[in-house]
Amino acid sequence: MGAIITLSLLGILVLYLGLYKAKSLLLPVTMLGLLLALGFEIAAWNTGEAPIYNGMVLFDNFALAFSIVCIFITGLVLLLSKEYFSSISKNVAEYYCLILFSLSGALMVCSYHNFAMLFVGIEVMSVALYILVGIRKSDFSSNEAALKYFLMGAFSTGFLLFGITLLYGATGTFDITGVKNYLLSNPTTISPLFYGGILLLLVGLLFKIGAAPFHFWTPDVYDGAPILITTYMSTVVKVASFAGFIKLFSYVFAPLQDFWTPVLLVIIVVTLFIGNITAMKQTSFKRMLAYSSISHAGYMLFAIISLGANANSSILVYGLAYSLASVAAFAGLILVKRSHGSDQFIAFDGLGKTNPLLALVITVAMLSLAGIPLTAGFIGKFMLFSGAMADYHVILLVMAVINAAIGIFYYLRVVVHMYFYPSTVGQDTLVVPVSFNVVLIITLLLTVLVGVYPNCIISLL
Amino acid sequence: MGIFYFVAFLSIFFALMTIFTKNPVHSVLYLVITFFTFTIHYILLNAQFLAVVNFIVYMGAIMVLFLFVLMLLNLNKDTEPMKSTLVKVIGAIAGMCLLATFLGAFRVLEGQGELVTGNTDVGLVKNLGKVLFDEFLLPFELSSILLLTAMVGAILLAKKETKEG
Repeated sequence: MGAIITLSLLGILVLYLGLYKAKSLLLPVTMLGLLLALGFEIAAWNTGEAPIYNGMVLFDNFALAFSIVCIFITGLVLLLSKEYFSSISKNVAEYYCLILFSLSGALMVCSYHNFAMLFVGIEVMSVALYILVGIRKSDFSSNEAALKYFLMGAFSTGFLLFGITLLYGATGTFDITGVKNYLLSNPTTISPLFYGGILLLLVGLLFKIGAAPFHFWTPDVYDGAPILITTYMSTVVKVASFAGFIKLFSYVFAPLQDFWTPVLLVIIVVTLFIGNITAMKQTSFKRMLAYSSISHAGYMLFAIISLGANANSSILVYGLAYSLASVAAFAGLILVKRSHGSDQFIAFDGLGKTNPLLALVITVAMLSLAGIPLTAGFIGKFMLFSGAMADYHVILLVMAVINAAIGIFYYLRVVVHMYFYPSTVGQDTLVVPVSFNVVLIITLLLTVLVGVYPNCIISLL
Repeated sequence: MGIFYFVAFLSIFFALMTIFTKNPVHSVLYLVITFFTFTIHYILLNAQFLAVVNFIVYMGAIMVLFLFVLMLLNLNKDTEPMKSTLVKVIGAIAGMCLLATFLGAFRVLEGQGELVTGNTDVGLVKNLGKVLFDEFLLPFELSSILLLTAMVGAILLAKKETKEG
């Protein structure tokens, strides 16, 4: 709870700093606040056994671990922001403020114990994003992305809310333990409203994580938003949504697994194929990452299909691996775009010679996204796949392996461009600021660390 | 019960009119009437607070906003984007599937024949306030972040960019 309060107050403080034109203070204050929030989360480790505030929130280790990942990744994203925000808009303080508010929403989604909190959390998280996506007011694609995201998001929130209403109608409570007890005490006479509620909730949540067939907004929104906002959306928001998703399904809806497993199976297969095949045809690096994030949502849904002892930790590892790799890839994209003015693959030509460190980090990030051993992405994929194997979803696994192979093809394309093509104009002027170097090295080290010694994360949950 | 069925019929009738009428302004006006029938539903359920809020906020504020937007955008038939027949057919099928699922669910529910009456006075302002400021205090307070976010965003997006001086 300390972290949520800290972040909310920090957002207001940042607004005041913006009001008094203290622009140079914004980043240090925000980073200090994030550190404080991180400290609150770490101090609460192993202490939250029972839900607090009339059963509204539960800060168990599951919630804390996901919250820590969210705060940490936000810190990395904000480190990249130093010159980025001021170059696209003058309202820098509002940027920080909205990102902090959105992060506090993400923490609520990680730690909810009542549908009211889930709803408030998802809304806080999304409303801030609708604004952030459209913050480049003069840019047409940014406007389009914001409007599209807002309309689709509002629509999916309607589904989510209708689902919660139906669950309330069937059980008479918003408390997730209450809903669980209802399922356990009436295994045969579950109200038909409950099934409708599950399906509608599923639609709302699948929209938030961007799984097919609710993915239509993803490429346009990720493409149109400023790169850093895309980074934030595809990492923090996705990790938090998955935390909420798996909590709901593993804790509450697990007794009805036979009902929703077939639905999710179809969704996973469709998501994987749509994400990977369309990603293969892209020529823009940013758009390729947008489609690949759809396919990663598909992989992460594996954990929900095979709810085992390792489901929580495998989603945590996969989410962390994916976030680290995405932050590194987008950081590279920002630098390349700044010097080259383009986000196509050809902009990366010859980067291996002109800037070996950046090329190395992007290569490791791509390998991690593709799931090559010795990177964090491999561990994540391995845990998810072995969880699915334990449940005998053999056909699903075959599909997933085919898709992983497709994934390697398009992830390695950018590596090929970096190392095997002669450099073009503009590469020489590419300067890497210190903050970028710090972020790149942190992501590189963590990706390899989790890849080599995964127990440091797995043993947490 | 008679009043309920009459009002329910009116709700559905005006909701259908909202989507079938050609003129956008008429459509919004029908939507206003639909919301008004909802207000009557809330009164029938003894949910006074919801009724008042629905009347003031939805019927009053939001619908007037709708009308203003329509007037400013000057929508008419020529500017309406053409939707392909395929999309319409798919939409109709998907919507009907959803409707059929819920009608089925409600039908089964009716067969069970148990009528649950909760606390019928829960919709009164006094009781609602007690629930909101006791059990649901945390979400209530946290929704202030939501409102603040929306305010910051609205001002940020609507404010004119001042030229660098």
